[in-house]
Amino acid sequence: MPQDYVLARLLANNSDWAKDVEKDHPGFFEESAKKQSPKVLYIGCSDSRVPESVATMSMPGDIFVHRNIAKYPISIPLLPLLQFHLFDDNALSVLTFAITALGVSHIIVAGHTGCGGVQAALDTAHPPPDFQPPADPLPRWLAPLTEIARAPEFEGGPVALTEANVRAQVENIARTDVLKAAWAAANANVDEDVDVQVHGWMYELETGRMRDLGISVGKADVS
Amino acid sequence: MPQDYILARLLSNNAQWAEDVDRAEPGFFAETAKGQAPKVLYIGCADSRVPESVVTASKPGDIFVHRNIANQFHLNDDSALSVLTYAVAHVGVQHVILVGHTNCGGAAACHAAARKPPSAEPPADPLTRWLAPLTEIAREHEDLTDLVEANVRAQVTNIAAADVMAAAWAAGKDVQVHGWVYELETGRMRDLGVSVGKAGPV
Repeated sequence: MPQDYVLARLLANNSDWAKDVEKDHPGFFEESAKKQSPKVLYIGCSDSRVPESVATMSMPGDIFVHRNIAKYPISIPLLPLLQFHLFDDNALSVLTFAITALGVSHIIVAGHTGCGGVQAALDTAHPPPDFQPPADPLPRWLAPLTEIARAPEFEGGPVALTEANVRAQVENIARTDVLKAAWAAANANVDEDVDVQVHGWMYELETGRMRDLGISVGKADVS
Repeated sequence: MPQDYILARLLSNNAQWAEDVDRAEPGFFAETAKGQAPKVLYIGCADSRVPESVVTASKPGDIFVHRNIANQFHLNDDSALSVLTYAVAHVGVQHVILVGHTNCGGAAACHAAARKPPSAEPPADPLTRWLAPLTEIAREHEDLTDLVEANVRAQVTNIAAADVMAAAWAAGKDVQVHGWVYELETGRMRDLGVSVGKAGPV
């Protein structure tokens, strides 16, 4: 059956990959099974065209990953921005585990061009003719992003909305209790290198390139 | 600073990768920018040791992905439900693969929590709340590998109960839900054989 071919190919690819890794790095799997110590938490979009570990040539063990629709992390009700919903235990539990259990040094929020979630939010805010809203619960999930798009001061199209979204996500992550606690601990630490930094990146589908938006925040910004 | 080195390495790796892809397949990026049509939605663990596209040698455009703590699918979670809805109703994937893995920190935490006296208070932090359903499952499983598999089966059942799946099946689409386990010790994916389709178990 053609559909089974899809699964068979994934499994065959996996088998070949595992053999290659074992040949090039004998003992790699046994060693990595013992524990993980990634330095990076990546929060990005579920979009199939942005496989973060392929696009950064990362190996198992490098990056702790959360991907959802339009890379929404946390949102705080006072700020109608961003996709971290305050009661989104899904993303908040990833953030909590990454910081308190794994001790990551970097949190990267990555948006991308051509995001379907961003386009849906734009279209909901300014409906084109014949607009069909996406199926539930997408309108609820995209509500904070739709609010940004509706705001009179927001100008621009999908790329501008995506960048605004990434900016807001970085700010909101910085406002979570878990980040505030991590920075307080880092500022109290005599080792100057201990920090947790939050970064905003954009992935350009058209070129395959990741771009740092230069909006990073770390412990120095709150000390 | 050592920390900046980490980011610099990710970005330079990305530049190298993009160059290599462009050389091997000119026009690949321009083509994928036009749209996505993946056949597979992968729901797995956030664990850094299970980068799904690396371990299945997949390319941009192949797999729509949701990763969270302990590969959960809760029917009251807007995040996972949004991913499933978008993937099935809008993108049109044919397969939803729920993947657990050995040595899962989330499963181990639940295994330990299930063997402590239950707390009188409801969980106060997001991580404990998120892992509450798995902690219930953990009460029934002494062996951690059994727990990882039981978790996968339970999440497959949850996905199959979602409204978007019922709607797709009623419309005659044969979207299938599968449960796999990734073995960290060997790098191998294993199908548990618990697949469900529009006509029931496959």
